[in-house]
Amino acid sequence: MSESTDIHLQELRRGTVVLACLQLLRTPGYGYALLEQLEHAGFPTDANTLYPLLRRLEKQGHLVSEWNTDETRPRKFYRTSAAGVDLADTLTREWLALTDAIGALTHDKEN
Amino acid sequence: MAATLTDRYIDATVRTLRPHLQEDVREELATSIADAVEARLEQGESADDAERAVLNALGDPGVLAAGYADRPLHLIGPRYFMTWWRLLKLLLWIVPVSVMAAVALGLTISNAPVGQVIGAAAGVGISVIVHLCFWVTLVFAILERVGTDPVPTWTVDQLPEAREDSSSVSHLVGSLVFLGASIAAVLWDRFRGFVVLDGEIVPILHPGLWPLWMLVFLVIVLGEAAVAVAVFRKRRWSAATASANTVLAVAFAAVSLWLISTGQLINPDIIAAIVLHGGSDFHYADLQSANEGGIFRILAVLLGAAIIAVCAWDGFDGWRQAWRAAGRMRG
Repeated sequence: MSESTDIHLQELRRGTVVLACLQLLRTPGYGYALLEQLEHAGFPTDANTLYPLLRRLEKQGHLVSEWNTDETRPRKFYRTSAAGVDLADTLTREWLALTDAIGALTHDKEN
Repeated sequence: MAATLTDRYIDATVRTLRPHLQEDVREELATSIADAVEARLEQGESADDAERAVLNALGDPGVLAAGYADRPLHLIGPRYFMTWWRLLKLLLWIVPVSVMAAVALGLTISNAPVGQVIGAAAGVGISVIVHLCFWVTLVFAILERVGTDPVPTWTVDQLPEAREDSSSVSHLVGSLVFLGASIAAVLWDRFRGFVVLDGEIVPILHPGLWPLWMLVFLVIVLGEAAVAVAVFRKRRWSAATASANTVLAVAFAAVSLWLISTGQLINPDIIAAIVLHGGSDFHYADLQSANEGGIFRILAVLLGAAIIAVCAWDGFDGWRQAWRAAGRMRG
Protein backbone atom coordinates (compact mmCIF):
# COMPACT_ATOMS: atom_id res chain seq x y z
CA MET A 1 0.00 0.00 0.00
CA SER A 2 1.39 3.39 -0.89
CA GLU A 3 2.20 5.91 1.79
CA SER A 4 -0.47 8.37 0.69
CA THR A 5 -3.14 5.64 0.69
CA ASP A 6 -2.06 4.85 4.23
CA ILE A 7 -2.48 8.47 5.27
CA HIS A 8 -5.94 8.73 3.71
CA LEU A 9 -7.08 5.55 5.45
CA GLN A 10 -5.79 6.88 8.77
CA GLU A 11 -7.70 10.12 8.23
CA LEU A 12 -10.88 8.23 7.46
CA ARG A 13 -10.56 6.03 10.54
CA ARG A 14 -9.55 8.78 12.93
CA GLY A 15 -12.94 9.53 14.47
CA THR A 16 -14.17 5.98 14.55
CA VAL A 17 -12.09 4.97 17.58
CA VAL A 18 -14.00 7.48 19.73
CA LEU A 19 -17.33 6.07 18.61
CA ALA A 20 -16.16 2.49 19.11
CA CYS A 21 -14.97 3.30 22.65
CA LEU A 22 -18.24 4.99 23.56
CA GLN A 23 -20.22 2.01 22.31
CA LEU A 24 -18.01 -0.67 23.91
CA LEU A 25 -17.88 1.13 27.27
CA ARG A 26 -21.65 1.03 27.70
CA THR A 27 -20.49 -1.97 29.74
CA PRO A 28 -17.63 -0.84 31.99
CA GLY A 29 -14.11 -1.75 30.88
CA TYR A 30 -10.45 -0.95 31.60
CA GLY A 31 -7.53 0.13 29.45
CA TYR A 32 -5.85 -3.06 28.28
CA ALA A 33 -9.08 -5.08 27.97
CA LEU A 34 -10.60 -2.29 25.87
CA LEU A 35 -7.52 -2.34 23.63
CA GLU A 36 -8.14 -6.05 22.99
CA GLN A 37 -11.86 -5.53 22.46
CA LEU A 38 -11.23 -2.78 19.93
CA GLU A 39 -8.78 -5.02 18.08
CA HIS A 40 -11.33 -7.87 17.92
CA ALA A 41 -14.11 -5.50 16.88
CA GLY A 42 -12.05 -4.33 13.90
CA PHE A 43 -10.67 -1.06 15.30
CA PRO A 44 -6.98 -1.75 15.85
CA THR A 45 -5.68 1.12 18.02
CA ASP A 46 -2.27 1.90 19.49
CA ALA A 47 -2.06 1.85 23.28
CA ASN A 48 -0.43 5.28 23.27
CA THR A 49 -3.43 6.66 21.39
CA LEU A 50 -6.12 4.95 23.43
CA TYR A 51 -4.97 5.72 26.98
CA PRO A 52 -4.76 9.51 26.53
CA LEU A 53 -8.03 9.37 24.56
CA LEU A 54 -9.85 7.77 27.49
CA ARG A 55 -8.62 10.57 29.76
CA ARG A 56 -9.75 13.19 27.27
CA LEU A 57 -13.24 11.69 26.94
CA GLU A 58 -13.49 11.50 30.71
CA LYS A 59 -12.46 15.14 31.06
CA GLN A 60 -15.13 16.08 28.53
CA GLY A 61 -17.73 14.19 30.57
CA HIS A 62 -18.42 11.47 28.02
CA LEU A 63 -16.91 8.78 30.22
CA VAL A 64 -16.94 8.27 33.98
CA SER A 65 -14.34 6.21 35.80
CA GLU A 66 -13.83 4.47 39.08
CA TRP A 67 -11.07 2.39 40.60
CA ASN A 68 -11.87 -1.25 41.19
CA THR A 69 -9.63 -2.82 43.83
CA ASP A 70 -11.39 -6.18 44.12
CA GLU A 71 -9.00 -7.98 41.79
CA THR A 72 -5.26 -8.65 42.18
CA ARG A 73 -4.40 -5.44 40.32
CA PRO A 74 -6.28 -2.22 41.00
CA ARG A 75 -7.91 -1.23 37.71
CA LYS A 76 -9.46 1.97 36.53
CA PHE A 77 -12.83 1.12 34.95
CA TYR A 78 -14.41 3.50 32.45
CA ARG A 79 -18.12 3.63 31.61
CA THR A 80 -19.95 5.72 29.03
CA SER A 81 -21.92 8.50 30.75
CA ALA A 82 -25.38 9.75 29.73
CA ALA A 83 -23.67 12.56 27.77
CA GLY A 84 -21.43 9.94 26.18
CA VAL A 85 -24.45 7.87 25.11
CA ASP A 86 -25.94 10.99 23.52
CA LEU A 87 -22.68 11.65 21.70
CA ALA A 88 -22.49 8.04 20.52
CA ASP A 89 -26.05 8.26 19.14
CA THR A 90 -25.26 11.52 17.31
CA LEU A 91 -22.05 10.08 15.86
CA THR A 92 -23.83 6.88 14.81
CA ARG A 93 -26.56 8.84 13.02
CA GLU A 94 -23.88 10.86 11.23
CA TRP A 95 -22.03 7.69 10.28
CA LEU A 96 -25.20 6.15 8.80
CA ALA A 97 -25.98 9.35 6.91
CA LEU A 98 -22.45 9.35 5.50
CA THR A 99 -22.78 5.69 4.52
CA ASP A 100 -25.96 6.51 2.62
CA ALA A 101 -24.35 9.53 0.99
CA ILE A 102 -21.28 7.57 -0.08
CA GLY A 103 -23.52 4.76 -1.30
CA ALA A 104 -25.53 7.23 -3.38
CA LEU A 105 -22.32 8.60 -4.90
CA THR A 106 -21.14 5.15 -5.92
CA HIS A 107 -24.61 4.26 -7.18
CA ASP A 108 -24.84 7.41 -9.32
CA LYS A 109 -21.51 6.63 -10.89
CA GLU A 110 -22.47 3.11 -11.81
CA ASN A 111 -25.55 4.28 -13.74
CA MET B 1 16.81 -3.37 43.77
CA ALA B 2 17.48 -1.41 40.59
CA ALA B 3 14.49 0.27 38.98
CA THR B 4 12.93 -1.81 36.22
CA LEU B 5 12.49 -0.55 32.68
CA THR B 6 8.77 -0.19 33.41
CA ASP B 7 9.44 1.97 36.48
CA ARG B 8 11.78 4.16 34.49
CA TYR B 9 9.26 4.41 31.65
CA ILE B 10 6.43 5.41 33.97
CA ASP B 11 8.64 7.91 35.80
CA ALA B 12 9.61 9.51 32.49
CA THR B 13 5.97 9.76 31.49
CA VAL B 14 4.41 11.20 34.63
CA ARG B 15 7.30 13.52 35.51
CA THR B 16 5.96 16.41 33.44
CA LEU B 17 2.29 15.93 34.36
CA ARG B 18 0.45 18.08 36.88
CA PRO B 19 0.77 16.68 40.45
CA HIS B 20 -2.91 15.73 40.79
CA LEU B 21 -2.68 13.62 37.61
CA GLN B 22 0.61 11.93 38.43
CA GLU B 23 -0.53 9.23 40.88
CA ASP B 24 -3.61 8.33 38.88
CA VAL B 25 -1.74 8.00 35.59
CA ARG B 26 1.08 6.11 37.31
CA GLU B 27 -1.28 3.49 38.74
CA GLU B 28 -3.30 3.09 35.57
CA LEU B 29 -0.27 2.93 33.30
CA ALA B 30 1.43 0.40 35.57
CA THR B 31 -1.65 -1.85 35.41
CA SER B 32 -1.99 -1.46 31.65
CA ILE B 33 1.68 -2.32 31.09
CA ALA B 34 1.44 -5.30 33.46
CA ASP B 35 -1.66 -6.55 31.62
CA ALA B 36 0.05 -6.25 28.25
CA VAL B 37 3.23 -7.96 29.49
CA GLU B 38 1.16 -10.77 31.00
CA ALA B 39 -0.62 -11.33 27.70
CA ARG B 40 2.74 -11.68 25.94
CA LEU B 41 4.07 -14.02 28.65
CA GLU B 42 1.08 -16.29 28.04
CA GLN B 43 2.21 -16.49 24.41
CA GLY B 44 5.53 -17.84 25.64
CA GLU B 45 7.74 -14.77 25.39
CA SER B 46 10.49 -14.22 27.95
CA ALA B 47 9.82 -11.62 30.65
CA ASP B 48 12.54 -9.27 29.35
CA ASP B 49 11.41 -9.46 25.73
CA ALA B 50 7.78 -8.96 26.67
CA GLU B 51 8.54 -5.87 28.76
CA ARG B 52 10.73 -4.36 26.05
CA ALA B 53 8.16 -5.01 23.32
CA VAL B 54 5.33 -3.47 25.34
CA LEU B 55 7.30 -0.33 26.22
CA ASN B 56 8.62 0.07 22.65
CA ALA B 57 5.04 -0.09 21.38
CA LEU B 58 4.02 2.64 23.82
CA GLY B 59 6.72 4.84 22.29
CA ASP B 60 8.38 8.05 23.44
CA PRO B 61 7.18 8.81 27.00
CA GLY B 62 7.30 12.53 26.18
CA VAL B 63 4.70 12.05 23.44
CA LEU B 64 2.55 9.90 25.72
CA ALA B 65 2.73 12.55 28.47
CA ALA B 66 1.74 15.23 25.98
CA GLY B 67 -1.29 13.11 25.14
CA TYR B 68 -2.27 12.79 28.80
CA ALA B 69 -1.76 16.50 29.44
CA ASP B 70 -3.37 17.60 26.15
CA ARG B 71 -0.23 19.52 25.23
CA PRO B 72 0.52 20.41 21.59
CA LEU B 73 3.51 18.69 20.01
CA HIS B 74 4.28 21.67 17.81
CA LEU B 75 5.78 25.07 18.59
CA ILE B 76 3.21 27.16 16.67
CA GLY B 77 0.13 25.54 15.17
CA PRO B 78 -2.10 26.48 12.24
CA ARG B 79 -4.17 28.80 14.45
CA TYR B 80 -1.32 31.29 14.92
CA PHE B 81 1.08 30.36 12.15
CA MET B 82 0.03 32.95 9.54
CA THR B 83 -0.17 35.74 12.13
CA TRP B 84 3.29 34.82 13.41
CA TRP B 85 4.76 34.59 9.92
CA ARG B 86 3.29 37.90 8.69
CA LEU B 87 4.36 39.78 11.80
CA LEU B 88 7.87 38.32 11.68
CA LYS B 89 8.29 39.20 7.99
CA LEU B 90 7.05 42.74 8.60
CA LEU B 91 9.38 43.27 11.54
CA LEU B 92 12.35 41.77 9.68
CA TRP B 93 11.77 44.23 6.86
CA ILE B 94 11.65 47.26 9.11
CA VAL B 95 13.60 46.84 12.33
CA PRO B 96 17.07 45.57 11.33
CA VAL B 97 17.42 48.15 8.54
CA SER B 98 16.31 51.00 10.82
CA VAL B 99 18.61 49.95 13.65
CA MET B 100 21.59 49.40 11.35
CA ALA B 101 21.04 52.78 9.71
CA ALA B 102 20.81 54.48 13.10
CA VAL B 103 24.00 52.84 14.35
CA ALA B 104 25.90 53.60 11.15
CA LEU B 105 24.70 57.19 11.22
CA GLY B 106 25.65 57.68 14.86
CA LEU B 107 29.13 56.23 14.38
CA THR B 108 29.74 58.22 11.19
CA ILE B 109 28.76 61.43 12.93
CA SER B 110 31.14 60.64 15.78
CA ASN B 111 33.94 60.27 13.24
CA ALA B 112 34.45 56.51 13.49
CA PRO B 113 36.54 54.85 10.74
CA VAL B 114 34.58 53.26 7.90
CA GLY B 115 35.57 49.71 8.89
CA GLN B 116 34.24 50.19 12.38
CA VAL B 117 30.99 51.67 11.08
CA ILE B 118 30.38 48.69 8.77
CA GLY B 119 31.44 46.15 11.41
CA ALA B 120 29.27 47.65 14.13
CA ALA B 121 26.25 47.99 11.85
CA ALA B 122 26.57 44.39 10.63
CA GLY B 123 27.02 43.10 14.20
CA VAL B 124 24.02 45.00 15.47
CA GLY B 125 21.99 43.91 12.43
CA ILE B 126 22.66 40.22 13.05
CA SER B 127 21.91 40.41 16.76
CA VAL B 128 18.69 42.37 16.08
CA ILE B 129 17.57 39.70 13.59
CA VAL B 130 18.32 36.90 16.06
CA HIS B 131 16.52 38.71 18.89
CA LEU B 132 13.49 39.49 16.73
CA CYS B 133 13.10 35.90 15.58
CA PHE B 134 13.56 34.53 19.08
CA TRP B 135 11.24 36.83 21.01
CA VAL B 136 8.45 36.94 18.46
CA THR B 137 8.48 33.14 18.20
CA LEU B 138 8.61 32.78 21.97
CA VAL B 139 5.54 34.96 22.43
CA PHE B 140 3.58 32.96 19.85
CA ALA B 141 4.73 29.64 21.28
CA ILE B 142 3.37 30.77 24.68
CA LEU B 143 0.12 31.98 23.06
CA GLU B 144 -0.22 28.57 21.41
CA ARG B 145 -0.16 26.99 24.88
CA VAL B 146 -2.22 29.43 26.93
CA GLY B 147 -4.18 31.41 24.34
CA THR B 148 -7.86 30.56 24.19
CA ASP B 149 -9.29 33.49 22.26
CA PRO B 150 -10.02 32.55 18.65
CA VAL B 151 -8.10 34.28 15.90
CA PRO B 152 -10.44 36.66 14.01
CA THR B 153 -11.86 35.06 10.88
CA TRP B 154 -10.16 36.16 7.70
CA THR B 155 -12.30 38.21 5.32
CA VAL B 156 -11.71 39.56 1.81
CA ASP B 157 -11.19 43.00 3.35
CA GLN B 158 -7.77 41.81 4.42
CA LEU B 159 -6.63 41.09 0.87
CA PRO B 160 -3.47 43.02 0.00
CA GLU B 161 -3.98 46.02 -2.29
CA ALA B 162 -3.37 45.38 -5.97
CA ARG B 163 0.25 46.16 -6.67
CA GLU B 164 0.81 49.59 -8.06
CA ASP B 165 1.80 49.42 -11.70
CA SER B 166 4.87 51.60 -12.13
CA SER B 167 4.60 51.57 -15.92
CA SER B 168 1.42 53.67 -15.79
CA VAL B 169 1.22 57.08 -17.40
CA SER B 170 0.83 58.80 -14.03
CA HIS B 171 4.13 57.29 -12.96
CA LEU B 172 5.84 58.58 -16.10
CA VAL B 173 4.43 62.08 -15.62
CA GLY B 174 5.41 62.03 -11.95
CA SER B 175 9.00 61.06 -12.76
CA LEU B 176 9.40 63.65 -15.49
CA VAL B 177 7.91 66.42 -13.38
CA PHE B 178 10.24 65.55 -10.51
CA LEU B 179 13.31 65.52 -12.77
CA GLY B 180 12.28 68.79 -14.43
CA ALA B 181 11.74 70.37 -11.03
CA SER B 182 15.23 69.27 -9.94
CA ILE B 183 16.85 71.00 -12.92
CA ALA B 184 14.67 74.06 -12.38
CA ALA B 185 15.69 74.20 -8.72
CA VAL B 186 19.39 74.05 -9.59
CA LEU B 187 19.01 76.82 -12.20
CA TRP B 188 16.91 78.92 -9.83
CA ASP B 189 19.52 78.56 -7.11
CA ARG B 190 22.22 79.84 -9.46
CA PHE B 191 20.44 82.65 -11.29
CA ARG B 192 17.54 83.87 -9.11
CA GLY B 193 18.69 82.59 -5.74
CA PHE B 194 16.79 80.83 -2.98
CA VAL B 195 18.91 82.90 -0.61
CA VAL B 196 19.38 86.58 -1.26
CA LEU B 197 21.44 88.46 1.32
CA ASP B 198 21.64 92.24 1.18
CA GLY B 199 20.42 92.22 -2.42
CA GLU B 200 23.06 89.71 -3.43
CA ILE B 201 22.33 86.16 -4.64
CA VAL B 202 24.08 83.55 -2.50
CA PRO B 203 23.74 80.14 -4.23
CA ILE B 204 23.38 77.13 -1.95
CA LEU B 205 25.32 74.88 -4.30
CA HIS B 206 29.04 75.51 -4.77
CA PRO B 207 29.69 77.84 -7.77
CA GLY B 208 32.69 75.65 -8.63
CA LEU B 209 30.22 72.92 -9.71
CA TRP B 210 29.64 74.89 -12.87
CA PRO B 211 30.04 73.86 -15.60
CA LEU B 212 31.59 70.34 -15.35
CA TRP B 213 29.67 68.83 -12.45
CA MET B 214 26.45 70.45 -13.53
CA LEU B 215 26.89 68.75 -16.87
CA VAL B 216 27.31 65.41 -15.05
CA PHE B 217 24.16 66.18 -13.06
CA LEU B 218 22.28 67.00 -16.26
CA VAL B 219 23.42 63.74 -17.91
CA ILE B 220 22.24 61.73 -14.91
CA VAL B 221 18.86 63.49 -14.88
CA LEU B 222 18.43 62.94 -18.63
CA GLY B 223 19.40 59.30 -18.10
CA GLU B 224 16.73 58.94 -15.41
CA ALA B 225 14.20 60.51 -17.76
CA ALA B 226 15.22 58.11 -20.52
CA VAL B 227 14.72 55.14 -18.15
CA ALA B 228 11.28 56.44 -17.17
CA VAL B 229 10.27 56.80 -20.83
CA ALA B 230 11.68 53.36 -21.73
CA VAL B 231 9.73 51.73 -18.89
CA PHE B 232 6.56 53.49 -20.01
CA ARG B 233 6.99 52.48 -23.67
CA LYS B 234 7.66 48.82 -22.84
CA ARG B 235 4.91 48.97 -20.21
CA ARG B 236 7.12 47.16 -17.74
CA TRP B 237 10.49 47.12 -16.03
CA SER B 238 13.08 44.79 -17.55
CA ALA B 239 16.57 43.71 -16.52
CA ALA B 240 18.00 46.30 -18.91
CA THR B 241 16.04 49.26 -17.52
CA ALA B 242 16.65 48.08 -13.95
CA SER B 243 20.43 47.89 -14.65
CA ALA B 244 20.48 51.35 -16.21
CA ASN B 245 18.47 52.67 -13.26
CA THR B 246 20.94 51.11 -10.80
CA VAL B 247 23.96 52.54 -12.65
CA LEU B 248 22.39 56.01 -12.56
CA ALA B 249 21.52 55.72 -8.86
CA VAL B 250 25.04 54.57 -7.99
CA ALA B 251 26.59 57.30 -10.13
CA PHE B 252 24.46 59.97 -8.49
CA ALA B 253 25.25 58.68 -4.99
CA ALA B 254 28.99 58.36 -5.72
CA VAL B 255 29.29 61.85 -7.21
CA SER B 256 27.23 63.46 -4.44
CA LEU B 257 29.10 61.72 -1.64
CA TRP B 258 32.46 62.57 -3.14
CA LEU B 259 31.48 66.22 -3.55
CA ILE B 260 30.11 66.34 0.01
CA SER B 261 33.17 64.72 1.55
CA THR B 262 35.57 67.04 -0.30
CA GLY B 263 33.51 70.12 0.52
CA GLN B 264 32.70 70.88 -3.10
CA LEU B 265 28.92 70.58 -2.94
CA ILE B 266 27.82 73.42 -0.71
CA ASN B 267 28.83 77.00 -1.29
CA PRO B 268 31.26 78.12 1.48
CA ASP B 269 29.74 81.61 1.28
CA ILE B 270 26.38 80.35 2.43
CA ILE B 271 28.01 78.47 5.30
CA ALA B 272 29.81 81.67 6.29
CA ALA B 273 26.51 83.53 6.04
CA ILE B 274 24.78 81.01 8.28
CA VAL B 275 27.57 81.26 10.84
CA LEU B 276 27.39 85.03 10.70
CA HIS B 277 23.63 85.20 11.11
CA GLY B 278 23.56 82.41 13.67
CA GLY B 279 25.33 84.58 16.19
CA SER B 280 26.58 83.42 19.56
CA ASP B 281 24.01 80.63 19.92
CA PHE B 282 25.28 79.03 16.77
CA HIS B 283 28.88 79.32 17.96
CA TYR B 284 28.00 77.72 21.25
CA ALA B 285 26.24 74.81 19.54
CA ASP B 286 29.12 74.41 17.12
CA LEU B 287 31.61 74.25 20.00
CA GLN B 288 29.38 71.74 21.79
CA SER B 289 29.55 69.44 18.80
CA ALA B 290 33.25 70.05 18.15
CA ASN B 291 34.11 66.46 18.97
CA GLU B 292 31.88 65.35 16.11
CA GLY B 293 33.43 67.89 13.77
CA GLY B 294 30.89 70.62 14.32
CA ILE B 295 27.38 71.25 13.11
CA PHE B 296 28.20 71.34 9.42
CA ARG B 297 29.96 68.00 9.47
CA ILE B 298 26.96 66.42 11.22
CA LEU B 299 24.63 67.93 8.62
CA ALA B 300 26.90 66.67 5.84
CA VAL B 301 26.77 63.12 7.26
CA LEU B 302 22.97 63.27 7.51
CA LEU B 303 22.71 64.60 3.97
CA GLY B 304 25.02 61.82 2.73
CA ALA B 305 22.98 59.19 4.57
CA ALA B 306 19.75 60.52 3.06
CA ILE B 307 21.27 60.41 -0.43
CA ILE B 308 22.47 56.83 0.12
CA ALA B 309 19.03 55.78 1.40
CA VAL B 310 17.13 57.35 -1.51
CA CYS B 311 19.53 56.00 -4.15
CA ALA B 312 19.59 52.51 -2.59
CA TRP B 313 15.79 52.40 -2.57
CA ASP B 314 15.62 53.71 -6.14
CA GLY B 315 18.05 51.08 -7.44
CA PHE B 316 16.39 48.29 -5.48
CA ASP B 317 12.89 49.32 -6.54
CA GLY B 318 13.75 48.98 -10.26
CA TRP B 319 14.86 45.38 -9.74
CA ARG B 320 11.81 44.62 -7.61
CA GLN B 321 9.49 45.83 -10.35
CA ALA B 322 11.46 43.98 -13.02
CA TRP B 323 11.22 40.80 -10.99
CA ARG B 324 7.46 41.21 -10.56
CA ALA B 325 7.00 41.97 -14.25
CA ALA B 326 8.94 38.80 -15.10
CA GLY B 327 6.66 36.90 -12.71
CA ARG B 328 3.58 38.29 -14.46
CA MET B 329 5.00 37.29 -17.85
CA ARG B 330 5.59 33.73 -16.64
CA GLY B 331 2.24 33.59 -14.88
